[in-house]
Amino acid sequence: MTFPHDYYNMLINDLQGTLQVHPRKGEAMTGDAIVAEELTYLYDELVAVDHINFNVAEGEILGFLGPNGAGKTTTVKMLTGQLKPKGGKAMLLGMDVALNVEKVQGDIGVCFETTNLYEQMSAVENLQLFARLFNVRQFDGNTLLERVGLAGRERDRVENYSKGMKQRLMVARSIINRPRVLFLDEPTAGLDPTSAEGIRNIILEERERGATVFLTTHDMMEADKLSDRVAFMNQGKIVALDTPLNLKQQYGKRALKAIVATDGGGLEDREIILDTPETSSAVQKLFKKEKVVTVHSEEATLEDIFITITGRGLTE
Amino acid sequence: MNWRIIRALVSKDYSLFFRNRFYSIVTVLGIVFYIAVYFWMPKSVDESLSIGFYTPVPFPTIEQADEEGLEIHFADSQEELKDAVIEGDYIAGIAFPADMKETLMAGGKPKVTAYFTSDVPLEYKDAIELLIKELIYERTGQELDIAVKEEILGPDMLGMQIPPRDRIRPMLAVLLLIFETFGLASLVTEEVERRTIQALLVTPVSITGFFISKGITGVSLAFIQAVLFMGVTGGMNNQPLIIITTLFLGAVMVTGIGFIIAALSKDFMSVLAWGMVTLIPMFIPSFGVMFPGAVTGWIKYIPSYYLIDTVHRVANFGAGWSDIWTNLLVVVILDLVFIWIGIMLLRRKTR
Repeated sequence: MTFPHDYYNMLINDLQGTLQVHPRKGEAMTGDAIVAEELTYLYDELVAVDHINFNVAEGEILGFLGPNGAGKTTTVKMLTGQLKPKGGKAMLLGMDVALNVEKVQGDIGVCFETTNLYEQMSAVENLQLFARLFNVRQFDGNTLLERVGLAGRERDRVENYSKGMKQRLMVARSIINRPRVLFLDEPTAGLDPTSAEGIRNIILEERERGATVFLTTHDMMEADKLSDRVAFMNQGKIVALDTPLNLKQQYGKRALKAIVATDGGGLEDREIILDTPETSSAVQKLFKKEKVVTVHSEEATLEDIFITITGRGLTE
Repeated sequence: MNWRIIRALVSKDYSLFFRNRFYSIVTVLGIVFYIAVYFWMPKSVDESLSIGFYTPVPFPTIEQADEEGLEIHFADSQEELKDAVIEGDYIAGIAFPADMKETLMAGGKPKVTAYFTSDVPLEYKDAIELLIKELIYERTGQELDIAVKEEILGPDMLGMQIPPRDRIRPMLAVLLLIFETFGLASLVTEEVERRTIQALLVTPVSITGFFISKGITGVSLAFIQAVLFMGVTGGMNNQPLIIITTLFLGAVMVTGIGFIIAALSKDFMSVLAWGMVTLIPMFIPSFGVMFPGAVTGWIKYIPSYYLIDTVHRVANFGAGWSDIWTNLLVVVILDLVFIWIGIMLLRRKTR
C-alpha cells in the first residue's frame, strides 16, 4: 500500500503549520500583573528560591512547573504575601507585595493543593465567610456553587464532601472576590476527568474575564493545554520560560512514526525526525519505497523537555 | 485593624466552637454544674466542735464548758464513746478514769484517754489537750504552768468566718476561666493543623487580625461564663467592678495560656495533655482558700494565685482596690507575658 504524493505533501505542510507561533493572549494585554525581580528566599542556609526573574502579563495563564522541592511553593508564598522575600522584589498589579500585603491580597485568589476548608461548616457558610473577609457586597453563593457543580449540596457540611467536591469548593472560594490574579496549586489533582475538565473550563473563563492565572501543576498535559507560557523551576532557579510550543521547538524533537508491512508479511516501525533539512526527502522515500500501514506524528512532551533541560523528571 | 474582618472571624470561631459537640456540652453543662455545686455546699458556717465524754464519776465542770462553739455529749461507757468517735459523731472523745481523784490524792498521775479519728487536724488535738488540762485545773484547783501564745499568719480574718460554698466560689470561677484554655487552644490548633489559617492569611486578614480575633473569642468565652457564674452565686455583691476587672484580666491570662498550649499542641489529644499539665498547678492556690493553712508561701509562684486570692478577698471579705491593687498589677504583668509568649510561639508555628 502506498500513499499518493499529494497526500504526504499535505501531511508535511500540516505538521509544519503547527510549528507556527500563534500570538499568545498575554501579548495583547496592557501590562504585567506579576513581576519577580531577583526574588530570593532562604530557609536558614538553604536557598529555596535563587534570584529568579520573570513576569506574567495581565490575562495570561502561566504554568509553573517543577519537581517537589524546586521552590515553587516558596515562590507562590512570596507572591501572595505569605512570606517576605529575603532578597529581590515581588510586584503584583504594580504594587510591591511586601509593602502592600493587605491591598494585594484583596485582589488575589489562592487555591491550595491541600484541602483547607472549614469542614464543620457548609459550603455556603465557607463561601460566606470569605465573602465577608473580602467585603464582597453582592455575594451569590448558590450561583458560584452551581458553577463548580456543587448545586444541591450547598447546605451539607464540608466534612461529608468527597475529595473532588472539596477541591471544587476550594476553586469556588478562590474566585469569590473576582480576583485579578488567581494562584492555583494543582487544582485538578485527584479529580475525575469530568470534574477536572470543569475546573479547566473555570480557569479559562476566569482568564476570559481578564484574570491572570498562575498555575502550579505536575500535570504536563494540563499545563500544555491551558498555559500561554510555562516556566520550569529547578533547584530554586527558573531554567526555562516560554510558550509550550517554543519550548518544544527549542528543546524537543518531533517525529513521524509509521508502521510498514514487510515482504515477509510482518510489520515494522519506522521513525523520521521532523523539522530537519532531511525530513522532506525521508518522508518521500518512506511513502515511495515502503508499504505504509499507519502513520502518525509524535512530539516531545513538556516532561521530556524538562528532563532534557534539567536532567531530572518532574515527579522526582 | 479592620473590625469587619475581626467580627467575621470571631463569629466564625463562635460558630465552630458551638458546633464542636464536646465543647458546647461541656461549656453549657459546666456552668450549670458549677452553679449547682455552689448551691449544694453548706451556706452557713458550722464551726462548733462536738466532743464526747465518758465520766464514771460526776464531773460538773464539763457541763460548764458546753458553751458557744463547743458541744458536749456524754457516753455511757468507754466502748460507746470509742464507737461514736469512729462513726464521726464527735471529733474527739475523752474518757476520765474512775479513780482520778484517788490517784491525784495519792500523788499519782491519773490516766485520761483522748480518742481522735485518724484525720483530725493537729490543732484540734492541741485544743483538746488544753481542754483536758483546763478541766482538771477546774476540778482540782491545781495551777498549770503553761503559757499560750497566739500568732496569726496572713491576713487577719479572725472572726470573719465564711461558709464552705463561698470558699469554693473563687475556685469554681477560676475553673471556668481555665477550662476555656482547652477550647481556645483547640480552635487555634485546628486552624494551624487543617491549614485554614493559610487560607485566611492570603485574604485581607493579617496575622495580627487573626490573633486579635482569637484573643477576643478566648477572652469573651471565658469572661462571660465566669461573670455569669459569679453573678448567679452572688459573688458580685461586694465590689462588682473589681470582680469584673479581675475576671477580665483572668480571661486574658487564660487566653495567653491557651495560645501557648495551641503552639505546643498538634491535635486535640495533645491540647488535652498540655491543658492538664497547666490546669492542675493552676488549681493549687484554690486549696489555700478552701483549707486555710494547708499551703504555704510558694503558691504565690503560681499565676492563678493572684486571681483566686483577689476574688476570694473581694467577694468574701469586701476588700477594696487599695487591698488588691498589687495582685491586679501582677495579673496584668502576667497577662502581657503570657500573651506575648503565646503569640511569639504561634507566629513561629504558623510561619
